[in-house]
Amino acid sequence: MDVISNLGLGFAVALTLQNTAYCFIGVLLGTVIGVLPGIGPVTTVAMLLPISFTLQPEAALIMLAGIYYGAQYGGSTTAILVNIPGEASSVVTTIDGHQMARQGRAGPALGIAALGSFFAGCVATLLIALAAPPLASIALQFGPAEYFSLMVCGLIAAVVLARGSLLKAVAMVVLGLLLGLVGTDVNSGARRFNFGMTGLADGIEFVAISMAIYGIAEVVYNLEKQQAAGVVAGAVGRVWPSLADIKQCAGSILRGTALGAILGVLPGGGALLASFAAYTLEKKVASAPRQFGNGDIRGVAAPESANNAGAQTSFIPMLTLGIPGNPTMAMMIGALMIHGIAPGPRVMTDRPGLFWGLIASMWLGNLMLVVLNLPMVGVWVRLLRVPYRLLYPAIIAFCCIGAYTINNKPFDAFVMAFFAVFGYVALKLDCEPAPLILGFVLGPMMEENLRRALLISRGDPMVFLQEPISLAFLLVAAGLLVVIAAPAIRVGREESLKE
Amino acid sequence: MKIRAPKDFWSGVMFCGFAAVAIFAARGYSLGSAGRMGPGYFPLLLAGLLASLGGALIARSVVLSGEPLSRFHVLPLALIAAGVCLFGVSIEPSGLAVSLAVLTLMAALSGGRFRLGETLALAAALIVFSVGVFVYALGLPLNIWPSL
Repeated sequence: MDVISNLGLGFAVALTLQNTAYCFIGVLLGTVIGVLPGIGPVTTVAMLLPISFTLQPEAALIMLAGIYYGAQYGGSTTAILVNIPGEASSVVTTIDGHQMARQGRAGPALGIAALGSFFAGCVATLLIALAAPPLASIALQFGPAEYFSLMVCGLIAAVVLARGSLLKAVAMVVLGLLLGLVGTDVNSGARRFNFGMTGLADGIEFVAISMAIYGIAEVVYNLEKQQAAGVVAGAVGRVWPSLADIKQCAGSILRGTALGAILGVLPGGGALLASFAAYTLEKKVASAPRQFGNGDIRGVAAPESANNAGAQTSFIPMLTLGIPGNPTMAMMIGALMIHGIAPGPRVMTDRPGLFWGLIASMWLGNLMLVVLNLPMVGVWVRLLRVPYRLLYPAIIAFCCIGAYTINNKPFDAFVMAFFAVFGYVALKLDCEPAPLILGFVLGPMMEENLRRALLISRGDPMVFLQEPISLAFLLVAAGLLVVIAAPAIRVGREESLKE
Repeated sequence: MKIRAPKDFWSGVMFCGFAAVAIFAARGYSLGSAGRMGPGYFPLLLAGLLASLGGALIARSVVLSGEPLSRFHVLPLALIAAGVCLFGVSIEPSGLAVSLAVLTLMAALSGGRFRLGETLALAAALIVFSVGVFVYALGLPLNIWPSL
């Protein structure tokens, strides 16, 4: 079996002492920072991105992935214990999780979240190993027209599934694409949009823009919200859930995992949509649905399994197609490019060690999460008491050091300050920043593919409609736009995503 | 005409502003043709699209009503942005210790209550931690002290 030999190669890479250590450091750092109230996974990854640049590409990606699901899990801990979701994907966990904590069942809630996540992680890892090779081999046959249409489709889908106004989200994508074009045009060598500044000759630094928006603008935005004093529920109690709990949750975990794994592959899906959908589904199919909202353990198990499965399967489009489905995946692509690796279907054939090592490390990382979290809950509880006024200067400081050390360019600090202001204004105007980051990453690739497609067709734009695969992608994109613009469905979407 | 959805209106203005800057900056770039795109082709396409999306937002804002703007907290934003810029200015001549101290001070000032003792302790902790992690553990080429 190919899968087994591939995974074997992966484990051989992931289980080297060095890579295991980086996986562990990633998971630990991710959890520690993710637990801190007010810091979500995206901010955590953005903040820690620079640390990975000094490492080998394998180690860097393994560590970043560890940080990502560590932070995801850390966020759930905060959600359960203090009712403050680190980010949108753990909002639903607060509903039943915090109720459980108030009833003195914080331990089992944390335990089932860890076990559910671990199960989901195992399934998702296997799924990636099975689904990635065929997807990549299809993608290898894509020409520029197919790629361009795929990117259009991916961006539109990401926008449609995101929250808020559709028009604003599309505009943010377009603005992101434009910002991605700043710098030297690879084809003509022309300098574009540098406004006479040599600092912009290589374009806007990805790390600077993502830390500005997810680190600094986020801090300023949080500062003005009155911090709801987090009340840590008393004793955490026994962490290991009882046999009855596990029995009750088995179905929820299975359903959550399946739903999360499917939704994670969709652009814009990932963990957020997965957790909401899983909770809604659970309420519909479970017996005695009335208990949901009053500390039902199934209301923790399902979304937690789903968001971990979704977080993991969102690696599939990133690894096989080079298309990021969410901002964290955009950061992974940024990390790949900084290491000189062009994201796309070739990663798997050109760097099998990196590809399979990363996948194997996910399983390893999930195991570490369980081992790390169950006994260390007490430490996390103490971390939760760190006030935000001590945290945010540290976030800003790490962002500054990170932005500067990427290229040792003080100019990047100014870029970061500019986009921090922009990010704050965008947040105040209800313009979600995620589409901007996705557009930013895809901008140059999109231009290149558009250029090549039209070069081959001698300037005939009909090429996008004549190639069947390209046409299919565009039809899907158009269909999504029509569906979402229809008012009736729109209301439904807003309701299902309501916090 | 009355603006019914201020958030939409100002988003539209912002997007149109970016589009205008892009079109203005791209005026010298050669367009080329579709089959042989110049460096100006795709940017102008995007800028045009952005301008029309911004225009649509503005148009919608006078028809459909929406949420009012919430207050902009300009001072914390300005302090933090200025702190980040100062970090950029000072990191090379003054080194990590001084730049971090200044940055922490600016950041702490932007919060609600300012406590000098706590801020100084935080700055010291951040400096020790950053020097340990970034300079010694990761070996990044950062000056710790002002270069003479």
